[in-house]
Amino acid sequence: MTTGHDIEPALDIRDLHKEFASAVAVDGVTMTIPRGEVFGLVGPDGAGKSTLIRLLTTVMVPTSGDALVFGNSVRTQSDAIKPRIGYMSQAFSLYGDLTVRENLNFFAELRGVSRADAAKRATKLLEFSTLTEFAGRQAQFLSGGMKQKLALAVTLISEPDLLFLDEPTTGVDPVSRREFWRIISDLNRQGITVFVATPYMDEAERCTEIAFMNHGRIILRDTPEGVKSRVRGDVLEIGVADYRAAMLVLRALPFVRSVDAAGEILRVLVDATDRKSEFEDRIRAALTDAGFPVTMMRDGVADLEMAFATLIPTGESAGSSAEELAAVTG
Amino acid sequence: MSLRRIRLLIWKEFLQLSRDRMILPILIIMPLLQLVLFGYVVGADIKDLRLAVLDRDGTTVSRSVTEAFTAAEYFKLTVRAHNDADVQRALDGNRASVAIEIPKGFADQVERGESAQLQLIVDGSDGRVSQMAGAYAAGIVNRLNTELYPRQAALAKGNVGIDARTRVLFNPAVRAINTMVPGLLAFILLISTSAIMSQAVVKERERGTLEQLFVTPVGRTEYLTGKLVPYALVSVVQASVVFTVGTLWFKVPFRGSGFVLALGLALFLFTSLGMGLLISLVSRTRQQAQQMIIFLQMPQMILSGFMFPLEVLPKWLYAVTFVVPLRYILVVVRSVFLKGSGLAELWPQFAALTVFAVGIFALGLSRFHKQLSD
Repeated sequence: MTTGHDIEPALDIRDLHKEFASAVAVDGVTMTIPRGEVFGLVGPDGAGKSTLIRLLTTVMVPTSGDALVFGNSVRTQSDAIKPRIGYMSQAFSLYGDLTVRENLNFFAELRGVSRADAAKRATKLLEFSTLTEFAGRQAQFLSGGMKQKLALAVTLISEPDLLFLDEPTTGVDPVSRREFWRIISDLNRQGITVFVATPYMDEAERCTEIAFMNHGRIILRDTPEGVKSRVRGDVLEIGVADYRAAMLVLRALPFVRSVDAAGEILRVLVDATDRKSEFEDRIRAALTDAGFPVTMMRDGVADLEMAFATLIPTGESAGSSAEELAAVTG
Repeated sequence: MSLRRIRLLIWKEFLQLSRDRMILPILIIMPLLQLVLFGYVVGADIKDLRLAVLDRDGTTVSRSVTEAFTAAEYFKLTVRAHNDADVQRALDGNRASVAIEIPKGFADQVERGESAQLQLIVDGSDGRVSQMAGAYAAGIVNRLNTELYPRQAALAKGNVGIDARTRVLFNPAVRAINTMVPGLLAFILLISTSAIMSQAVVKERERGTLEQLFVTPVGRTEYLTGKLVPYALVSVVQASVVFTVGTLWFKVPFRGSGFVLALGLALFLFTSLGMGLLISLVSRTRQQAQQMIIFLQMPQMILSGFMFPLEVLPKWLYAVTFVVPLRYILVVVRSVFLKGSGLAELWPQFAALTVFAVGIFALGLSRFHKQLSD
């Protein structure tokens, strides 16, 4: 690391486009991401998150625009970028027929890590990811969570400054997910910048900043707190016997903006007015009429799930999202 | 280009091969199995053709004709016929596929040094049998001629002698297996190289490891070299096995130069590696790649002269054979093996093979580069 480069942001994306024969995957993304962040990229399937990551990792060449990774162009300076980044793609992308240690050694040597360093780091990473006792096992025989940890360990063997993670915990059990995020936080504390695409709002919550991507565009970027504060309306938490059926009843009410379930508790967003107590009464009445008496009702706070459910209506058309978002968030 | 990285990729490939319990046995057993099947079944000479004899002459000379036929292992006497009807029944009832009829007065004609006629009737329902029967018979008759007409034979090839009615050109000294084994050398190289190569590349893309490799300093060319070298080496082992078993066990003569053979096979190797690469680029899954290999296998077998002589093809189909690389390497391996031909005789084939090797390999390379950047 030279000092001259250290002042550059981790990522400087400039009007980046990627078009395929059938679709536009990335449609003009511009943003700057400083070092030291855990930057979360959220959005529905097909929003272009993976393509954006592939462009930033130089796996794909953009149709137009450019992105600078630590000041180096993904178009022309991929050789300078590759040594400084780690990329964990969506699918498990290591050699299943090689052992845990062989995978680590292979990628270490490929990335030019000296044998001595590789051995030292491998020992540390295996311990870090609690894979030490599985070092001799073929990667294909690991559990889903262990595979992801191995994939992470492999991307870390070259000690990258910027880590790209594409839905790293998809298909991983909740315990392993927590474990995985503990590792990510540790890494971030050590100064590694993390760029993570995730479909899970609880994971987005752990990021220092999030960007919402839809139809190839970034339509919102803020801290998790900032995103939540954009939600207009009051949140009610409701306990009810049959919460699935009750959801349908609530969604039919005109002043209800969104309903989702957290465990068996329903989280309901109602229009922001001074008629909150009136809405509460009408909800009680509607649920009782439908045969689901309310067992509990209390005030709640908006979470990211709710924020995105209301900020990004489903089934919208491309192009309208930004305007709608402006209308919703005011 | 970094030799260190290429060596690492090659090592990785062999490590993966060694982990696959199926692939290595298949790589060695497959060529041997093909060699045995093709060598013993397809390439074998037909023996013990059932023979019916109608000897109207009944003399020592006519009996020596029958003996000459049955002495060789090609024919087995199953029916002694007494009249035409017997012969007809034997052929109709599949008790004989070949019949010879020795007319009355045969011995007298031979003794007088005149031409003697011998009727040979062949069951034409199996083209291969009739062709070979005719050929064997011609060989036997030739030998008989030198025995029965010593004077004429000593003089020159006269018109006098036994006139066997069937005339098929064939050299019984060249066994069918002698053309089959060299052909197999090329054919096995083609199938295994293009199949394994395409599988290996598709597998890497399917699993996402290809993408992972390209965020490391590994370049496209390094990657391909690391992929090609192991499978080229495997092919060399396969070819050596087929060559060794073919020459030692099946006793196929090798009259040419090992260098010319190796050069031809190397050119062909590049062609089939390039084809494997192309197949891997159009296939999304390994199953698709496999289907593609099978789909291409049949036309190549037929349109190259591997199984059947190209002369039997209709004109328009014959024209297609010019773009089948296997066609050229077959001529090379067979000629090098059996005729001991060198570059001087085989330069047109070598030229064609070079064009294919460079063309297909370059096409595979450029498509590979392009697809990765999309």
